[in-house]
Amino acid sequence: MITCEEFFAEFADYMENQVSPEIRKELTLHLSQCRACQVLYDTSLKTVKIVTESGSFELPHSVSDPIIDCVMAKLRKEHS
Amino acid sequence: MDLSESELACLQFCLKLSRHAPSLCSKDIDALRACGFGDESIFEAVAVTALAVYRCTLSLGLGPEPDFGPRKLPSTRIDQQPGPAPHGLLSDSHEAAQRKEPYVHAPYLSPKAFSPFAIVQQSHGFIPNFFRAQTLRPDLLEAELEAVGRILLPEDALTRLQKESILLAVSAANLNSYCVAMHCNLLRGLGMPSEEGDQIAVDHHESNLSVADKGLLDFAVKLGTRGPGFSRRDVVKLQALGFTEEQILECVVVTALNNFANTLQMGLGIAPDFAPPAGFEENKVHLADAVATPIGREGGMYLVDVLQDLDAELVAQAQGGKLEAFEALVRRHTQLIYRTLMAMLGNPADAQDSLQDTLLNAFKHIGGFQGRSKFSTWLVSIARNTALQRLRGRKNVESLDEPEREEEGDFRPRQVRSWADNPEQLHSKSEIQQLVEAGIVGLPAKYRVVVVLRDIEQLSTDEVARELGLSVPAVKTRLLRGRLMLREWLSPHFTASTRGAVK
Repeated sequence: MITCEEFFAEFADYMENQVSPEIRKELTLHLSQCRACQVLYDTSLKTVKIVTESGSFELPHSVSDPIIDCVMAKLRKEHS
Repeated sequence: MDLSESELACLQFCLKLSRHAPSLCSKDIDALRACGFGDESIFEAVAVTALAVYRCTLSLGLGPEPDFGPRKLPSTRIDQQPGPAPHGLLSDSHEAAQRKEPYVHAPYLSPKAFSPFAIVQQSHGFIPNFFRAQTLRPDLLEAELEAVGRILLPEDALTRLQKESILLAVSAANLNSYCVAMHCNLLRGLGMPSEEGDQIAVDHHESNLSVADKGLLDFAVKLGTRGPGFSRRDVVKLQALGFTEEQILECVVVTALNNFANTLQMGLGIAPDFAPPAGFEENKVHLADAVATPIGREGGMYLVDVLQDLDAELVAQAQGGKLEAFEALVRRHTQLIYRTLMAMLGNPADAQDSLQDTLLNAFKHIGGFQGRSKFSTWLVSIARNTALQRLRGRKNVESLDEPEREEEGDFRPRQVRSWADNPEQLHSKSEIQQLVEAGIVGLPAKYRVVVVLRDIEQLSTDEVARELGLSVPAVKTRLLRGRLMLREWLSPHFTASTRGAVK
């Protein structure tokens, strides 16, 4: 079985589902037998899900619209 | 893959129809005819593109790819006869004679000979030009009419009024005058006052719809215009407004059907049955009038350009000084620009100030954009440079270009405690947003930018690499480190025993 070091070396690609079927098989086998890597994998996936669905740094229209309106007014004035 | 000249022309036409339908014109059809395409082939190209747009919209709204493909249908020979003009419609008036004919031949089909038309006649009181223009393929039309009836008529989840409002708002967002006029008329038939329908076409936020229904239209418009920011968050927002999963599914399907109809109408050049609301026409960006040049080799625009830059038509107009086109472009990409600025600057006030500077810089330099990259990539580079200028005014500037240091290669996660099965349920949505934003702001800038573009803006790894001028391996390394740092930050708040630990 591969070591935790070897698992970690492939971890980024494994999370992104970008490993070959053979390597995936090895990594999955390691995961099924290593509690620490299992926790790392599970919590990393949950991290990505939470970050992706958090709606962070969304600029509400109430803020962006006046900024765009102001820019457009400035440009229209320059081009009139 | 080597494409023949005619295959390339067909593919270019379909791409333009799917992404820039308002700018399609008869010259595009002439270009296809010059390559040897006849009415049946052009009709099929339009229908298949419409179906592709339908599937793309469904796929974007529901996540998984739909499990069916376009059908190959047998052709039918029908005798051509003149069609009766419906009473009271635009096609009754003398203007009809001056209107352009649809792009492809449409033989007359009577409701007697084609029973689905009898049903349409009964429900609408006339046969809309939209359906008349598709009679070259009655088998396809029959399947389409059955789908329309099954999707739009039942009131099991959403009401007819809600569905028609979705069709109206999304058609307006897609700049489709024909469908706007049609759905305004259908909403009137359902008892909605004319002014209310007109207002939905111009700006549904200013209408008298409920907050929930305005949210429903926001969702449909974002999905229907296939904006890059559409994600699961939008579904969650609808759920928060009280919509059930069944209603959300119906909204996605109705929006997808709308895009199918919008694409067919624009691809076939179908003449309107009714005049669209004046307010809509006044506010509409007249792309179709402004862009009369068909895409193709003679126009100096190649397939690769179309694939690389789906904003090309608007960019060309903006470069010609058309401010409306520039405004449409920046509204489309505001979130991407803002998140790039937030990721680099780390605070909202600076990011908002820099957003204004970025837009002004973008307009100033748009003449120099040569289409070698996607327009969004170019905008990100303008945002990046604007943010860098601001950063230079700060002390302790963090470098975004700094190479990975040796000691960082040993970065290893420290937290080994497992999390709750559904960690999102431990805190409210706003608490989680606050936590994530604090965690991201706390990351070193070079990791922050990659995490924001990949995990929040949801660009692909390749796109992030292109937009930041980094190699793909560098992006992967920074993304993993950023994610692991965030995991360390979030861990104390999401283990099963830490309920309410947000500070």
